[in-house]
Amino acid sequence: MPSSLSNLRALCAAIALLLVFAHPAAAQLSFKPTAEAVQEDKLLNALKEGDKITGRISIPDVMASSLIQPAGRDWRDFHRSTLPIVGGIAILGMLALLAIFLMVRGRIRLDHGFSGTRILRFASFERFTHWLTASCFVVLALSGLNISFGRILILPLFGANAFATMSGYAKIAHDYLAFPFMLGLAIMFLIWIKDNIPGAIDLEWIKQGGGILAKGRHPPAKRFNAGQKGIFWIVIIGGALMSVSGWFLLFPYLPANVTALQFWTVIHAVIAMLFVAAMLAHIYIGTVGMEGAFDAMGTGEVDLNWAKEHHSLWVEEEQAKGHAPSGGAARPVAAE
Amino acid sequence: MKIFVAALAFAAIAAFAVSTVLDTIQRPSSVAFTTGGARVGDPGNNLIGPS
Repeated sequence: MPSSLSNLRALCAAIALLLVFAHPAAAQLSFKPTAEAVQEDKLLNALKEGDKITGRISIPDVMASSLIQPAGRDWRDFHRSTLPIVGGIAILGMLALLAIFLMVRGRIRLDHGFSGTRILRFASFERFTHWLTASCFVVLALSGLNISFGRILILPLFGANAFATMSGYAKIAHDYLAFPFMLGLAIMFLIWIKDNIPGAIDLEWIKQGGGILAKGRHPPAKRFNAGQKGIFWIVIIGGALMSVSGWFLLFPYLPANVTALQFWTVIHAVIAMLFVAAMLAHIYIGTVGMEGAFDAMGTGEVDLNWAKEHHSLWVEEEQAKGHAPSGGAARPVAAE
Repeated sequence: MKIFVAALAFAAIAAFAVSTVLDTIQRPSSVAFTTGGARVGDPGNNLIGPS
């Protein structure tokens, strides 16, 4: 009898075990992380561009209702992979071009040397506006580049703590210096727009390569030549795009949704890289690349021979107004 | 040189002024997004600055 009872118990236990393992619900309850992950991945991949999984929230921040937005992965990959490559090529490529140009062409010197006679090129307010915008731009550019390249280039040198502290202050400087930069941009537009309207004379300047490719050639130009006009419009249009996109980043609740915010961050980052590359060329030609050019923004006055060689029509206009002395090109003096 | 220094000083003063104005007219997220039915926690200090 005890033996029969024992056998019965064993049989019941075996049937119970069989039911447990054979029941579909038991199979679903078994832990299969890999299978679950695949299903989740399929779910995310099934979401198309612009799709997202949202929840219900009770706070006024509507963007917080976005739970999963697969497009965000593309955006993150762009910032981590594509942008540093594109930006690196643009900036390092420009530096390489300038270095090659300097080696091949050398510094652009005055054909007739310095006359010793000076002519006012930029008034005090114009130089103030230029340096206000330029100084803000330098800080904005360096602090912005830190976002894209700092983790790769600076973090290994500084260490995590120092890099985090520096990046924190750089971010604050970036946010608030953006405002005087935008102010400088607006003033520059107002005071220089009249001298930067493209004209027929600019085509001739471009045809002759601005006279910088061959020595002794100086196409006529008014106050700003075609190259300077190009820089002006790059600054104004690029600066406007940076300002608008930056405004949305400063106040991230202004865009309609997260997708729009991501769009503006991409615009901000791409324009920034191109902007920095263009300004490197501007800085080069205004300092190392051309003899006598820095004086225009340094003291505000340039040598009359420099003005005649690079802005001959402007000198004639100034002389006609009585704002510039006549002569020049007759008394060459040592350059440096 | 004076013009350059003046431009730097103006940029610094303008940036500080903007930060003061924005601090005055903006509210912390824990205040701005708190409603009668939901309270948002104080985020504390982070890169954005003191709460």
